[in-house]
Amino acid sequence: MTRRRILAVAVLVVPAWLMMPLENSIHSENLQLRYGGAKVTSELRDQIGQGMAIALLAGFRGVVADFLWIQSHDYWAKKEWMRQYSYMKMVTMLQPQSTMFWDIGAWHMAWNIGYAVSVDPQNRTQAEGIKREREWWDRARDYLQQGIENVPNRPDLYFAMGWLYWEKYKDGSKAQEYFHKAVAAKEQPQNLSVRMDGVQRLEARAMEKSGDVKGAYQCWKQMWLQDHQKTEQIWTVVEREVKRLEDELRIPENQRVFPNPRSEPASPP
Amino acid sequence: MNAEQENMTESTQPSGAPAAREGEWVGFSLSRVWAIAETTFTEAVRQKVYNILIVFALIVIASASFFSQFGTEEQLKFMKDFCLGAVSVFGTMIAIIGTALLLPSEVENRTIYTILSKPVRRFEFLLGKYMGSVLLIFVSLLLMSIMFGAALAFKEQRMVSALHQQSSGVPLTEEQKQEVHATVRQIRAEAFDPDLVKAALLILVKLALLAAITLLVSTFSTSMIFNVIVAVMVLIAGHLVGSAREMWGDSAVVRWLLAIVPDLGSFNVADDIVLGNPISWVHVAKVVVYGLGYLACVVAAAHFIFSDREI
Repeated sequence: MTRRRILAVAVLVVPAWLMMPLENSIHSENLQLRYGGAKVTSELRDQIGQGMAIALLAGFRGVVADFLWIQSHDYWAKKEWMRQYSYMKMVTMLQPQSTMFWDIGAWHMAWNIGYAVSVDPQNRTQAEGIKREREWWDRARDYLQQGIENVPNRPDLYFAMGWLYWEKYKDGSKAQEYFHKAVAAKEQPQNLSVRMDGVQRLEARAMEKSGDVKGAYQCWKQMWLQDHQKTEQIWTVVEREVKRLEDELRIPENQRVFPNPRSEPASPP
Repeated sequence: MNAEQENMTESTQPSGAPAAREGEWVGFSLSRVWAIAETTFTEAVRQKVYNILIVFALIVIASASFFSQFGTEEQLKFMKDFCLGAVSVFGTMIAIIGTALLLPSEVENRTIYTILSKPVRRFEFLLGKYMGSVLLIFVSLLLMSIMFGAALAFKEQRMVSALHQQSSGVPLTEEQKQEVHATVRQIRAEAFDPDLVKAALLILVKLALLAAITLLVSTFSTSMIFNVIVAVMVLIAGHLVGSAREMWGDSAVVRWLLAIVPDLGSFNVADDIVLGNPISWVHVAKVVVYGLGYLACVVAAAHFIFSDREI
């Protein structure tokens, strides 16, 4: 080996070793970002196929997840719900940070599959249909719970869980709990698929439905007292609800946001 | 005679005509490097392989705007994943094939003798070739990114106009109107995510590094196929470094061995950006410094091997 070849090897090896701390720092930051992302194990490879496993190893995790998601839709069309379910679980295993997959997956389970199994002609009795539908609601709830554990700081999945309790389980108390968590979530990105002012209103309605009318009134009142210029809200709805609850709860005149019609209404802040 | 002059005369010996008179010092010239880079770029652009690859890449990216049977959020995510994946795949092909051809074709056509018989140092020749290849990668990425942007804009326009069409002619409550505005805002925020620039930048650095590795291989090999195969193997190994470190990273020996192979997985931030995970500029800068540091070492190693090579 000539001197220059030795130099060539040295210039490749020594700086690479010197860069190890930087490489480790980048690696640990990447691990934090992809927290919970499934590793490519032999079991996963068997499930998704050799080609997909190679694509995963080559760094195309998002493309593989999308492809599997599209396949899961095909199983929906074929009414192969358990297979669709297993594909949706695989997708969230690959990209656990995607709120979209958790959200839409749970919606498919609780609404689409839930309804489809409830009217399935193979059901022997109506009760069987109801039982099967309920099982899919439970699957959706567990699925969303896993999503919340993976993405605890964003409001999307708390809202989805609240909506599931509100619409399907008709459990106002649980719905209110999750709507509140959505409103209080640390991250409030711009590109949310839900409007947070709507979630605030739902929280107040869920509170009232669960029997806490005074709490609901406080909730609506707090909404009204926000800065109307800076906050996006449907103020006509908030005004209507505050007035209704003030009448219903017989709030004393001097404590009302909207005193009776003969008095001057309180101006918005 | 010093090492530089030795370089000059050894490069000229095969052609029989000395490039520099004995004792004459020819310094490093950026203009010569640029001239070689320009020629390399022009030659590469004229190649059918490149044109076919770039046209195919642009068609693939443009076709991504036709995912239409899913919800708004799904469509935009699929499109971004698909386009960034296509940019990465076609960019990798262009980087590897474009660079693997450089030195073997010069040797095969014997043009290398003509160039090195002029007062051009081997390092300038090598650097010029590499710069030409990087220029090719940059232009290709730019074209693909413009097409990606256009496809996203087209998609966004179609989604927004479909939404307006649905809501026009129907009396909407104030709540519904606000819902429409919020959806339009969400579509725009999803479609024009400025963080996509970070993904494109890291793809560029990764491809430049891959080109440098391919150039290094071609300094000791004469076969273009061999260059491509070795570069693809390094590409696969580079993507496995992260997984290998997680599996066997406890052993110090393994960690030192793994450090020699560049961790190409570090450059894949596209998935995180599409998911909306916050990728800081500090993180991007770290990865760029890592990539450029590695790239400089690989080019230096290529120089040492090429300067020692019998032509």
